[in-house]
Parts: sequence; C-alpha cells; structure tokens
Amino acid sequence: MSFPLAGGTSTEPALEPGAPPPEERSSLWERRPWFRYALRCFLLYLASLWGALTIAFFFFRMLPGDPVSTVLQSMQQQYGTTVQASGDLVARYRTEFGLDGSVIEQYLRFMKNLVLHQDFGPSLLSYPTPAQDVIGAALPWTIGLMGITAVLSWVIGVAAGAIAGWRRGRLGAEVTANVAIAFSQMPFYFVALVLVYVFSYLLGVLPNRSAYDSQLTPGWNLEFIGSVLQHGILPAVSIVVIGSLGWLLSTRMLIVPLLGEDFLSYAEAKGLRPSVILRKYALRNCYLPQVTAFGLGLGFIFNGNVLVEQLFSYPGLGSTLVAAIKLQDLNTIMGITSLAIFAVLTANFVLELVLPLLDPRIKGWR
Amino acid sequence: MTTTLSAPKRTAGRLSLLRRSPKLTIGILLILLLVAIGLSAPLVAQAIGGGQDPTETAAFPRWLKPSGAHPLGTDQYGRDILVMVCRGVLVSLQIGAIAGLVSTVIGVIVAFVGGYLGGFVDTVLSFFTSILLVVPTFPLLITLSAYAKEVTLFEVGLMLSIFSWPFAARTIRSQVLTLRTRAYVDLAKTTNSRDLEIIFKELLPNLLPYVMVGFATSALGSIFGLIGLEVIGLGPAGVIDLGHLIFVAISTGALTLGAWPLFVVPIILLTALFAGLNLINIGLEEVYNPRLRSVSGV
Repeated sequence: MSFPLAGGTSTEPALEPGAPPPEERSSLWERRPWFRYALRCFLLYLASLWGALTIAFFFFRMLPGDPVSTVLQSMQQQYGTTVQASGDLVARYRTEFGLDGSVIEQYLRFMKNLVLHQDFGPSLLSYPTPAQDVIGAALPWTIGLMGITAVLSWVIGVAAGAIAGWRRGRLGAEVTANVAIAFSQMPFYFVALVLVYVFSYLLGVLPNRSAYDSQLTPGWNLEFIGSVLQHGILPAVSIVVIGSLGWLLSTRMLIVPLLGEDFLSYAEAKGLRPSVILRKYALRNCYLPQVTAFGLGLGFIFNGNVLVEQLFSYPGLGSTLVAAIKLQDLNTIMGITSLAIFAVLTANFVLELVLPLLDPRIKGWR
Repeated sequence: MTTTLSAPKRTAGRLSLLRRSPKLTIGILLILLLVAIGLSAPLVAQAIGGGQDPTETAAFPRWLKPSGAHPLGTDQYGRDILVMVCRGVLVSLQIGAIAGLVSTVIGVIVAFVGGYLGGFVDTVLSFFTSILLVVPTFPLLITLSAYAKEVTLFEVGLMLSIFSWPFAARTIRSQVLTLRTRAYVDLAKTTNSRDLEIIFKELLPNLLPYVMVGFATSALGSIFGLIGLEVIGLGPAGVIDLGHLIFVAISTGALTLGAWPLFVVPIILLTALFAGLNLINIGLEEVYNPRLRSVSGV
C-alpha cells in the first residue's frame, strides 16, 4: 500500500508541481519548510481535483442520451398536449442545460460556472430548480447518515482492532479476527436487507423507508428528532456493522508488530496497567495511518452509502443520484459526482496538512 | 505495506504452500465449492424440472414454500429458486473471472510501464490510478450501465473492469518498485538484456503471487460493483446472476411475503464468494510476505 496517493503522507518526491522556489524567496522557504510542503500539497490537490472533475465531465458527455428530449417528453406528458418541439425550443433548452456548442466549449463553460458561481445548471428532477439546490436539499441527510456512521465505524473498529491485536492468540481475539476477514468485504447492502427483513417485516418494530415519519413536519422538535433517529437506526447499523470490520482488521495488523517493541516493554517495566499501555503507547502508533486511511476510504464509503440510501428510500444524495440517472438528469448527476469528488479530495488534503503537525515523525516537506 | 518478497521455494511444492496457509486453503475451497454449485446447475435443473426448464415463467405455482420438491420454493413467476441460484452462481463467477482478468491485464501493464520506467510516465500513470482509487467512481459506473442496457456477459465484465483495474495496478506497482532495484535485475541489465526480456523473465515470475492478489481484489471489486448496479435496478438486462436474484426479491415483494430464500440464499453465497476471495488475498500475502506472516498469525 505504499502508493503515493493523491493524499497520503508518503515522503516520496513523486510529484513536484510546486516548482523549485525562486531564489530571492529561498530564505523564506528554508525558514518555513512546512509552508513549502503545504503549497506542494495544495497544488497536488488542485491538480487531482481538476483531473477527477475532467474525467467525470468527459465520461458523462461521452454517453449517449439527450436530456433535452427527456424534458420535452415530460412536458408533453405533463400538459397532455403534443407540443411539436420546434427547432427554437430545442435550441433554447440546449442553451439552458449547457448542451450547445462543441464538447470543449461545454467543458470550459462548465468549469467556469462551477468555479465562479458553483452553478451546475437546471435539474430535470424538479425543473427548473437548479441542480445545486436539489443537491443542497439532499445533502444534510447524507452528511448526517454517512458522517455519523463513518466516524462511528472508525472508532468502534479501531478500538476493537486494538484489543483483538493486543490479545492475539486468545480464542476470542482470533475468532473475531477471522469473522472480520470473512465479512469485511460484504456490501453494507446485504446486512441492510437482512435487518429490514427481520426488524421491519418479521418483528415490525422499526421503519424501513424514508428518513422520518411523513406525517410530521420537519423542525427542531423532540418528536421529529425522535422520528429521524428511529428511521436512521437500520441504515446506520448496517453501515457500521460491516464498516467497522475493515478498521478492526487493519488496526490489528498495525498493533501486532508493535507487541515486542522496546518502548512497550519499557512501559510495562514502569508498572503501567495493560489498558494504559495499549491506549497511550501502542494505539498512538495507529492513529496516523488509520486517520490517513479514513480519508482514502471516504469515496468507498460514499459508494456503499448510495445503495443503502436507495434501499431505505433515504432522501439523501444517493437516492437523488439514482433518481437523476434514471431520468438522464445530467446536471444533477454531474453536480453530485463533483460534490463527492470535491468532498473526498478536500478531506484528504486537510488530513495531509494536519497530520505532520500532529506527528513530529512525519516530515512531508523534507 | 508490502515491501519485501521472498522468492517462493520451488522445491516446496504446491501442497505445502496450502499447508502453510490455512486461510489460502479455506479460500480456495470456498471458491471451488461455489464452482461446484454452479456446475451442478444442469443436474439440479434436471432433477427438479424433469426434462422441463424449471426456470421458465409459470413452470410451477407461484410463491411455493420450501419443500422436498422445491428445496428453496418458487418465486413470483413460479420459477424454481434453487435452480436459479445455481445458475446465478455460475454467472457471478464468470463475471468475476472476466472482469478480474481484464483488470489484471490492464493493471499489470500500467504497473510495469510506470513502475519499471519510472520518471514522468510513472508520475502521470500513478496520478490517474490514485485519482480513480480515491474518488467515488460508483456514480460513473451507474451512469454507464444506465446507458448500456443490452450487453453480453463479456461486455459487462469489460465495463466493470474500467473501474476495478486500479486495485490491481496499485498492488502490483508497489511490488515492481521493490523488485526494480534488486541485484538480479541489475545483473540482467548489465548483461544487456532487453527491457521486455527482463520484465517477462525476471520480474513477472516473482510477482505472480501479487498478480493473483490483484486478480482476486479486482474480481471482488467488480462483482461488488455489479451487485450495486443490480440492486438499484440498473443491472444489465439478460445477466441473471446472484445480484439480479436479490433485485427480483426486492422488486417483487419477497420481503413482505416472507419468501426469504430468494434473497437470503444469494446473500449467503455471495458472502461466501467475497470471503473466499478475501481469504485468498490475505493467505497469499501472508505466505509471500514474511513480514506480514509473523504479524497476522493464524
């Protein structure tokens, strides 16, 4: 895994977009090596962002299908008339959806609107609401569900992995590790399906759709929040159960080689309790790689989240994305993809900047 | 974290390799079991259908409960679930094999070109590999599949490998990097061997375990991706694998009706498939990576 990822705290001089500093400033660079490191990270971040967005843009434009004809079709159905789409009308919609001109022109316009106005153009899902507004409405649900479950999985997994590594060789720890190996690659979705079947259909104790009781009006009252929590249990549990297993395995892999190290023997010789040694000495060595891995794994978590949301009709980005794809709503698809790309890369960039400050052993700027 | 590679002792033989790693053995056995289930499909179909196709629409009454004649019952269209499951296993395995193979070939090429040549080529290749690994690619895959409706099994595999080759490339590249500077490669270089010759004669044989890890990882990723597409109803038409059966279960209300075999059995089999591939991965890494072997215990 020693791969110079777009993030990653590797000291490999893999990419040097931050060209060598001009000579007159060299004193500043020498005095503030962190600054230089940060600039390099930032340029690499911008390059990755640009690369990923460009790949996504051309990927979507290469696909066949025409949102404009979808719009006209749905208008015809809506108004019950057979509007013969005149050339003017089609042209107007093409302009509105940013589909006129050559692909390169479209690309430049897309980038300009994205950077200057954060505008993706009108959506089809609820035309003529702009795609970014549709996304904005779904965003809190995804941040809530995915944010909480991702952090929870990490915390539970790292804690359990530390214990499983610490107690290596004992029956319980070995069984746990092998169970984790068997199930860690399972999609969240499978667990969700089984949980829905058991708790919603067989026992009928928990809701299996939506994010809150549709009879309640959203607001900051106890009843609504209770309903949100109740509806969130099944999707959250299915993500955490599988998600934490991966962290368990990787933490265990990090802890076990530490076990014979001198600094742990020293801590033991000092008479510290094993739990203190584990938490304050052994586990500290795992935070850094595991926090980095958290950033790198976010995209994967988003992928799994899409399916879980879809199963539970959870009104987040995942469900919106699937609905948009079924409608060929190019602007919303592009918006959600861009947002996911942006979030994942930004998280990695921030982690990369912060980690060397937290861990003096890492000197990314050398 | 894989940095070292012990050349496999050729005298040791395959059996002792299996004996050294119970994980590898169990993983391979699981996959073989699934292959056996898949290959038994014609026999099972014969036994249940008695000459007729038991998965034809209305071959039997709808929603039969599991019984002797239909061990897993029937679905909404009166099709025998056991036969569908057996055939589905085979399709899932085929998809994994095709997509895994294509991904591995792409991954090996990218890893070797980048890792061996180094320099600017490597920078660009690893830049794109890492972007594809970090960024959520599932939206791209869903969209692609939404437009590609009528496709063959091979095309599905090809489509999936577009997004799963980076898994293979990552694993193999890190190994190429560690091997590039080994003495025997230098020796080959000084004796004026050509690059291709070095790659095929010196590097590739030593990387075989990691190529297999890359294969298993990308096969896993591909099957994973396909199931994702299918359960949201955007799977390719005509590909009836285990993921498709799960989608059928959801969309025809098997959950409400309590027809659990239709989704529980595919889930169990797919979990076994994922577990098998994962065990092979971890087993191989443990055997060929001595640093890790001492770490993971058994």
